[in-house]
Amino acid sequence: MIFSELYSAYYNTVAKIIKEILRGTVDNNSIHKIIQDNAFEESMINILPAIQKEKWQLITRKYKTPIRHIPTMPLTMLQKRWLKAILMDERIKLFDIQIEGLEDVEPLFTKEDYRVYDKYADGDNYEDEEYIKRFRVLLYAVHNQLPVKAEMTNRKGNIVYAKFIPQKIEYSEKDDKFRVLTSSCRYITTINLARLTKCSWYEEPFKIKSVQRERTRATLTIMVKDERNALERTMLHFAHFEKQVEKIDEKNYKVIIRYNSDDQSEMVIRVLSFGPLVEVVEPTDFRELIKNKLKKQKNCGLK
Amino acid sequence: MAYNELIKNFEKIRAYMRDFYIYGFKSRDGYDKKSLRSYDDERRRMESWLGEHMRFVRTPEGKNVFISIDSRSSNHNPFYNALKAKSFTDGDITLHFILFDILYNEKDAYSLTELMNKIDEDYLSCFEEPMAFDESTLRKKLKEYIEEGIIISEKRGKYLLYRRAKDVKIDNIYDVIDFYSEIAPCGVIGSFLHDKEGKHDEVFAFKHHYITSAIDSDVLCSLFLAMQSKSVVTLHNLSRKSTEPRKNRVVPLRIHISVQDGKQYLIAYQPDFNSIKSFRIDYLSNVKIEKPTPRFDELRKMLDNMESKMWGVGCRGCLSREERLEHVEFTIQIEEDEEHIVRRLQREKRIGRVEKIDDYTYRFIADVYETSELIPWIRTFICRIKKLNFSNRTIENKFKQDIEQMYKMYGIEDGGETNDI
Repeated sequence: MIFSELYSAYYNTVAKIIKEILRGTVDNNSIHKIIQDNAFEESMINILPAIQKEKWQLITRKYKTPIRHIPTMPLTMLQKRWLKAILMDERIKLFDIQIEGLEDVEPLFTKEDYRVYDKYADGDNYEDEEYIKRFRVLLYAVHNQLPVKAEMTNRKGNIVYAKFIPQKIEYSEKDDKFRVLTSSCRYITTINLARLTKCSWYEEPFKIKSVQRERTRATLTIMVKDERNALERTMLHFAHFEKQVEKIDEKNYKVIIRYNSDDQSEMVIRVLSFGPLVEVVEPTDFRELIKNKLKKQKNCGLK
Repeated sequence: MAYNELIKNFEKIRAYMRDFYIYGFKSRDGYDKKSLRSYDDERRRMESWLGEHMRFVRTPEGKNVFISIDSRSSNHNPFYNALKAKSFTDGDITLHFILFDILYNEKDAYSLTELMNKIDEDYLSCFEEPMAFDESTLRKKLKEYIEEGIIISEKRGKYLLYRRAKDVKIDNIYDVIDFYSEIAPCGVIGSFLHDKEGKHDEVFAFKHHYITSAIDSDVLCSLFLAMQSKSVVTLHNLSRKSTEPRKNRVVPLRIHISVQDGKQYLIAYQPDFNSIKSFRIDYLSNVKIEKPTPRFDELRKMLDNMESKMWGVGCRGCLSREERLEHVEFTIQIEEDEEHIVRRLQREKRIGRVEKIDDYTYRFIADVYETSELIPWIRTFICRIKKLNFSNRTIENKFKQDIEQMYKMYGIEDGGETNDI
């Protein structure tokens, strides 16, 4: 099962400590660092005494070990089955990989076993060979911090060109789209991969330095009225943001959400989807956007 | 019992994690007095596992502890840490590393007695107070590892020999594991693989990334295993309205996953009621896989047919009754240069169809099991809804009342003008 000590942070940490001992490079500091990097904040108070008291008979208190090889464990059947399952996913074609040794393994799940019922229908086309090529160019460029020159169609349908250093490839499950987050480009920070028509490494000298762009953050304060299970629904819906909730009284909750200001239009319609159970308190300009929508609605003649 | 950051059973902390992450407004006093000690322990564990993501705020009711994570800026789901905190005995960890050291090469195979001798002579003897393992402990551990697929047993003559299972090389697939561990079901398994690989460049980021379902991974995994073997399961379901979980016997048919709020549902057949129903996976626990059922393929086909009438997870219910569908229709108006609104209708509709009435007017039409499931989506078109036509008049009227209430809430008077002052 998934919740097993075989996958635990402690087993991984101990494996790394043994590896360090076998390399002959271990001391107090390196053990502390391994624990810090691989286990939890309070793990030091458990792992160090266990070694000192020789509770786990793998490492002596003088940091010797009877283990002769760098610790390894074969993949469990669960890990193999999960790998087999993801190899059957349509997006796997984006990656140029082959895994041997799973021929006789049953997948943990197939696409028949689950359905993502609310993703948008105009996701990227993972069958498109040209799209796959561009994805791989960008993936390589992100790894190696190489500049890329790209041709793309903008929202108005015009062809535009850009040179940039890709920082990350961002995926949205809701949109089922990949976007490349760029730096070194004056006017573009995010590009939908599907909009690219050409993409290659830029081989001429590229003067602009790679600068990681910080997203501009915005704060939204809403009041949630806990009727029709609205509290749970809003909390789940906005769960992926940094947020803080305060109970005002038995029915009303104040929620402060921090989001990227680029996504304001999307946030407006997300708030609208809760109807009268969510009211925007601040900022005023966001509240105005909702009001404008309602004013327009009032003129639609819905009876 | 003394506090330990590792735990034996995940079930108890699952509820606390959900409370701290999803809600995050309960103070210590908001919990049952009898369980305050448990609250303190679970809070401390989460602080240890989640570090910087745990936040505190002082309110008149006391100190509130909550988890706040912007999942767009995290490369990895922090909740996976909780699933790496399983407790073990001193003997478990000692035997684990020694066994895989003895069975280092895939060709090396030893009998139980040979393994016992090697453990005592080659490993434990260097400690001042060596542990003593008996044969039954070692046999039990080997059996457990055979079930996990990491050790293989084979009969050679009259002896049963043990050797390590064949491994699969994953050292060139970092990107694949990083990507799928965040977006595939049971992604925590990818995170376990990630831990084996060591450090490498992280190239992916995730938007609209819901991470809460990580804490339901064990339940989800059992349901997948059941579906793969077309089996019946028993499970405990704690519905929102009850305080005690209820035992159910069902045939799991499919998992429905939302990427707009992160909820996961099991759609299952309940033989006792002859109905197909949805269950929130975060309310399920204690899944036990029973025997395969010959009806699995037939029931799944039935669900396939139902899905063209399901907006979300509202199902047909009892199969003996006649199928009841509700008609949903709404008309919107667009202005010039608002073709993107029509594209929105097309890409966001999950079922049903969109009809063009004229250049500025479009209509969405569908027949569904539950009209109420479409309401949040229809509300996102507020500012352009011209007409509603729901066969469920109660819901249609409620929709209109809600809009009226919103006008009041935002101070929008008749005529569409507003004056806050």
